[in-house]
Amino acid sequence: MVARARRGLREEMRLYLVAVTSLSVAFLCVGGALLATTNLSKVAERWGESGRMSIYLRDGARAEDVTQLRMVLEGLPETTTVSALTSQEARALFLEQSDVNSDLAGLPAEVFPASIEVAMAEGTPIQRVDAIAERVGRFRAVSDVETYRSFFDRLGSLVSAGTNLATVLGLLVGLCVFAVIGNTIRLAVARRRAEIEVMKLCGATDGFVRGPFVLEGTFQGAMSALLAVIALGLVFASMRGAIDRSLAEFLGSRAVFLDAWVLFALVLGGGLIGAAGSAISLRRYLTV
Amino acid sequence: MASSRSDDDDKVVRPFAFFRAGARADARAANKPILTFDGVYKYFREDQPTLKDVDLEVERGEFAFITGPSGAGKSTLLQLVYRKHTVDQGRILFCGRDIARLTPKSIPFLRRNLGVVFQDFKVVEHWTVYENVAIALEILAMPRRLVRSRVAEALERVGLAGRGQEKTCTLSGGEQQRVAVARAIVSEPALILADEPTGNLDPHLAIDILTLFEEINETGTTVLFATHDHSLIASRDHRIISIDEGRVVEARTGLRSWGTAKSGLHAVG
Repeated sequence: MVARARRGLREEMRLYLVAVTSLSVAFLCVGGALLATTNLSKVAERWGESGRMSIYLRDGARAEDVTQLRMVLEGLPETTTVSALTSQEARALFLEQSDVNSDLAGLPAEVFPASIEVAMAEGTPIQRVDAIAERVGRFRAVSDVETYRSFFDRLGSLVSAGTNLATVLGLLVGLCVFAVIGNTIRLAVARRRAEIEVMKLCGATDGFVRGPFVLEGTFQGAMSALLAVIALGLVFASMRGAIDRSLAEFLGSRAVFLDAWVLFALVLGGGLIGAAGSAISLRRYLTV
Repeated sequence: MASSRSDDDDKVVRPFAFFRAGARADARAANKPILTFDGVYKYFREDQPTLKDVDLEVERGEFAFITGPSGAGKSTLLQLVYRKHTVDQGRILFCGRDIARLTPKSIPFLRRNLGVVFQDFKVVEHWTVYENVAIALEILAMPRRLVRSRVAEALERVGLAGRGQEKTCTLSGGEQQRVAVARAIVSEPALILADEPTGNLDPHLAIDILTLFEEINETGTTVLFATHDHSLIASRDHRIISIDEGRVVEARTGLRSWGTAKSGLHAVG
């Protein structure tokens, strides 16, 4: 069967090359969408690892006011950790978390106000976090309270939109791969109809006839996906430096490539769709 | 380039192996006609049957011409045997089995016991001669070594010894038909159906091909040879099955004997 599939691929090489090229572009779109979604998710995950609240203190806030504020916060059931940060500590933490090498290291400590960082328990309702922020904001020592909620909401929407886009693109590409491989195999079958007729007249089962075509379809699908993955990897490697310098500095995390299992799933999915497309498109040619 | 049979040949398991020429797995089947048409009707149009009440028996090892004008139903008769079509009424027994009742999944196993040769050769032109013949054995999942020896033997029988690696498209019409014959006989079927195999060949080549089928018949294989070429039929003394407007009119002996013995044709359908 493998030998016959190899012969089929060799004989219809031009046809298959055109199909594989078209399909690679389609897979590249899916891969690109997945890559964008993965990075957005990572940013969202990084920023929303847990519910956080930063309480910025006024310059020259009295120590007893700060202590009282800490005691109030620690007494709340919704808080898991409450830690005070001096200006120097805030600066060091920022530089550590920003995850980029840039000129930000030259910023003086005064730029970073002293703060109390509060980690909220998972599942704390937004309304409750807002109520705590509003109550904390009334303290004398407090300059400002940041809950990051609006940012997380927007980022969440963006990630959700990206995921939806990738899903829709995935479905479209799935259909596209199915149709292109189906039509390619149909063309190949039309050209090799005599072959099929001869085999059927000699007593070949449908499986015997279908086998090489399904293998060819599998190969086309998997090869298209593999080429797309390689192209995506090359594009990513060449652009990673620029992405890290611009976006990552703003978003605070480095760009990441797709996980190995996602790449494997893409190639496997391509192969499976190719196999299904071949098998289905062959059905009506098997009646001899 | 004769090649001797190896012991592997006997080890190969073939479905319906007892259908092979000379095989005697079922004593009762061996005594029965290899092919029986029993009140067979075939309709392609409701009001006009292509075959009408065909009753016919073909004995093992027989060589029979099927003749009649174009559109008489010769090809349909053969197509019913290799189950391209199914009968609408009646039954066809091949080695005692009603082939009309075979399920679609069983049809390939029926065809493995038949060799079919067509007017238009039905060879794959971009394949080599070897590949065209070997496919009939590859379908049976035979070991490659055995396939090679059996193909070489078949090619020798049809006069194409040593030409296995040639592309089939480079062969003449007569040679392509020989490739088709080699493919039909390589799996040693019990019955060969030849549907106007000389229709595209000149008279000289037609006689060659007919002779080839007769040689195959001498080894015990039953041959049904459809043709409307009366000069071909007249040159031999085989049984003639004549079809006209879907009905079978049969002569038990060929035209030569008929001419001398005055036996004449008699309707059996």
